[in-house]
Amino acid sequence: MKLLEKLWRALDERYDLQPLVAFAREKSVPCHRHDWMYYFGGLTLFFFLVQVATGVLLLLYYRPTAEAAFESVQFIMTRVPFGWLIRSIHSWSANLMIASAFVHMFTVFFSGAYAKPRELTWWTGVVLLLLALGFGFSGYLLPWNELAFFATRVGTDMVSKVPFVGHWLLKVLRGGEDVTGATLTRFFGIHVAVLPMVTTFLILLHLAFIQRQGIHVPEGEKPVRTRPFFPNFVLREAMVWLVGLALLAALAAFFPWELGKKADPFAPAPAGIKPEWYFLFMFETLKLLPAKVAGIDGEILGLAAFTLGGLFWFLAPLWDKRRARGERNPWALAVGWVVLLYIASFTVLSFLGVFK
Amino acid sequence: MAEQRKVSRKTFVNWLLGTSLGATVVAALYPVFRYVLPPEVAEAPTNRVLAGKLSELPPNSGKIFRFGAKPGILVRTPAGEVRAFSGICTHLNCTVQYRADFQHIWCACHNGHYDLQGKNIQGPPPRPLEAFKVDIVGDDIYVTRGA
Amino acid sequence: MKWIPAASLVVLTLPALAAPPSSVVGAPGKPAQDTCTECHKALDDPRLQGPANLAADDIHHRQGVTCAGCHGGDPTAEDPEQAMDPKKGFVGKIPAQRIPEVCGSCHSDAAFMLRYAPNIPTDQLAQYRTSKHGLALAKGDTRVATCASCHEAHGVLPASDARSPVYPTRIVETCERCHGDKALMANYGLSGQEVAEYKESVHYQALTVKNDLSAPTCNDCHGSHGATPPGVSSVSNVCGNCHLTQREAFDLSPHRDAFAIMEQPACEACHGNHKVLPPQDSWIGVGEGQVCGSCHSAGDKGAEVASALFGALDGTVKRLEAARQRVEQLEARGMLMDDAAVQLEEAHQALVLARSEVHTANRQRVEAQTSQAQQALAKAEGLAKAAEDELRFRHNGLKVSLVVILVAVVALALKIREIESRAQ
Repeated sequence: MKLLEKLWRALDERYDLQPLVAFAREKSVPCHRHDWMYYFGGLTLFFFLVQVATGVLLLLYYRPTAEAAFESVQFIMTRVPFGWLIRSIHSWSANLMIASAFVHMFTVFFSGAYAKPRELTWWTGVVLLLLALGFGFSGYLLPWNELAFFATRVGTDMVSKVPFVGHWLLKVLRGGEDVTGATLTRFFGIHVAVLPMVTTFLILLHLAFIQRQGIHVPEGEKPVRTRPFFPNFVLREAMVWLVGLALLAALAAFFPWELGKKADPFAPAPAGIKPEWYFLFMFETLKLLPAKVAGIDGEILGLAAFTLGGLFWFLAPLWDKRRARGERNPWALAVGWVVLLYIASFTVLSFLGVFK
Repeated sequence: MAEQRKVSRKTFVNWLLGTSLGATVVAALYPVFRYVLPPEVAEAPTNRVLAGKLSELPPNSGKIFRFGAKPGILVRTPAGEVRAFSGICTHLNCTVQYRADFQHIWCACHNGHYDLQGKNIQGPPPRPLEAFKVDIVGDDIYVTRGA
Repeated sequence: MKWIPAASLVVLTLPALAAPPSSVVGAPGKPAQDTCTECHKALDDPRLQGPANLAADDIHHRQGVTCAGCHGGDPTAEDPEQAMDPKKGFVGKIPAQRIPEVCGSCHSDAAFMLRYAPNIPTDQLAQYRTSKHGLALAKGDTRVATCASCHEAHGVLPASDARSPVYPTRIVETCERCHGDKALMANYGLSGQEVAEYKESVHYQALTVKNDLSAPTCNDCHGSHGATPPGVSSVSNVCGNCHLTQREAFDLSPHRDAFAIMEQPACEACHGNHKVLPPQDSWIGVGEGQVCGSCHSAGDKGAEVASALFGALDGTVKRLEAARQRVEQLEARGMLMDDAAVQLEEAHQALVLARSEVHTANRQRVEAQTSQAQQALAKAEGLAKAAEDELRFRHNGLKVSLVVILVAVVALALKIREIESRAQ
């Protein structure tokens, strides 16, 4: 302890840490019956940090070429000490991170935290969710196994449906006309360099905004008690993080992530190719649409609908005038429930195999 | 007395917290430390193995080596040249062997014969043995499988 | 003077055996030019036009043999009467009984064939005369196969050409034209089922599905020109041509002499002749549908041995299957099972050898192989256990970490409570 004190005094002398300490002491988090939702943002951050750590470790052994990628992942899983653990944690944490991000987004939406003055926080948040989905999509291909190869083919095919720039986008994403080793290289670069860079920047912005503005309290819960951020909320958050860690370890050990078979571009697609669960609701919706609606390709209509829907969701701070004034908005709640139920039900039903 | 209990209680909680968090950190970092030290077989099993030594392979002899889970056969022809083939008979997947009396490759299961080019010349095997690339570095014989 | 008819027969046939003159058979390599083809191509009757249309692909025609080379006549004459003049040797449609001689007039002449295709054998006619077909034809039966029946008369292609009716994969259909005709075969005491049975066999599968041209088809066991079913005593030799290991094993068994005495066709007794199916371990025994039961009955020495053989094989097969499943499950759970896979392959190989040894009907020899398989399986099972132990170790390690984390969570909860009670 003495050593820590000495260190603190040395830093304080040089950098005047008092304002920081004062800020930290003042920081507080509201307490109310819905305050459990405040933990999910931090939990998402925790899973992201786990991804960075395990991702860097995987980088020590992974090889991003079509010839060696599968074998290198197999090597990690079978020959590197605890490689099985690192890889399975990386795969599970990806899914948990996205799940946590969705929960965080919905709790924010339902509590109306996107309203003025927190528009930018909402917008950086939505973009962060999209980036997380991008991480998931690009990372999924990296083991270069059969499922991933075909899922990527189908997924990138969707891009070509965008009017005018569709084919150009397809070629940029795939690094060519078809999914090949070039696609793998590109996805690898996106996954370990481009996305981390942009995500880190946006996370810092997102956190900075929150620090500056404080935590939002849902309408109808004022007046509230608060609890200090340091140490109370931090300790509680630490508990949540530890539970997340325990969950990851349990999943990695009891439900290790499969490797499957190496991708063979010339083999026919195996039956029942599906994207990862977080894309399922879109996938099943597109499959339900008729081939042509009033002369327009059903899929293009579907994609347009999703784009418009997403834009609508994104612009919530602008159309929700009531929340901006600090009032409750049952319409916004209804929108939130419809979206949540739609996504949840389609995902669950897809798993149950209802869509055949 | 109550104060003392409170103090010792607080000390206990602090100790428990510190120890358990420390143990968690150790439990998390131990696999990481083990992970970063490379295993003995330092590379992912690609398509290249050290199949044998030249000094241990006299002319007109053969040796079975392993390519991962699959057998390969290393052959030194009577003329002294080193060749390598898949050791899996193309008939019913038995492991072939070198027969010095035939001076070529033979399969014990159903009497299949392959010449020194790996071509099936007699018996039930329908196809030749896949040929591998051989590289000799000093005394070491490296065999590479096609991609 | 009894020899005069015989001598005259020989003398009469001699000209037929002499190679045709060079006026009708051109130099090798240059396609034949004859008026026959030119005129016949312009005819309306398909029976007369057909052969002319096939001339371009016909190997004989391409090598310079004119139509007159077989049919006689003058291939240079424009006038049909001169071209088809019997005085110039014109025969017209060659009667079935004379076909072998006509073909043989070139194909049995080694010196002649040397100019065209030195590597083709010249014994076809001699062989044919020994065959069932040849013998029947000599007695006057014209329903049997002659050269043209299998090789065609016009548009003849080399046997190595995939379009030829005697290309290895097509021989079955060619023989089937007659041998699949039950009514026709009834005249000879044959069932007409043989080809259909062959088509169910492993040999046919190998030939047509696996494209293995070395798989036996009709001519490989029966001979092509000397087509005759192998005699009872020679079945073992015929099968043993390819299946040498099993034949040698059979020769070590008491069955070899016993079958010879009983005049049983060795391999065929258990494996069939045409409908040769993949042999099953379950065939071994004296029960219903089991091959040993044809001669042995329950309780005799043979039945005892059969039961022991089957037991050795079946026990090993079951253990191999179980071990394989166990290893596959471990692989699916992410364990590296290469070493175990190698042991499983060794066990599989010993099992294959054991099945060959079954032909010796010798318990010790078969069990020598199955016990090798069992040893390899024991090793594989050991490796599987080690992998399962490693998985258990991981699960236990996890449980320990979970406990540690749980304690940390509890400690945090206590700390929070302590801080918040202090704040009160």
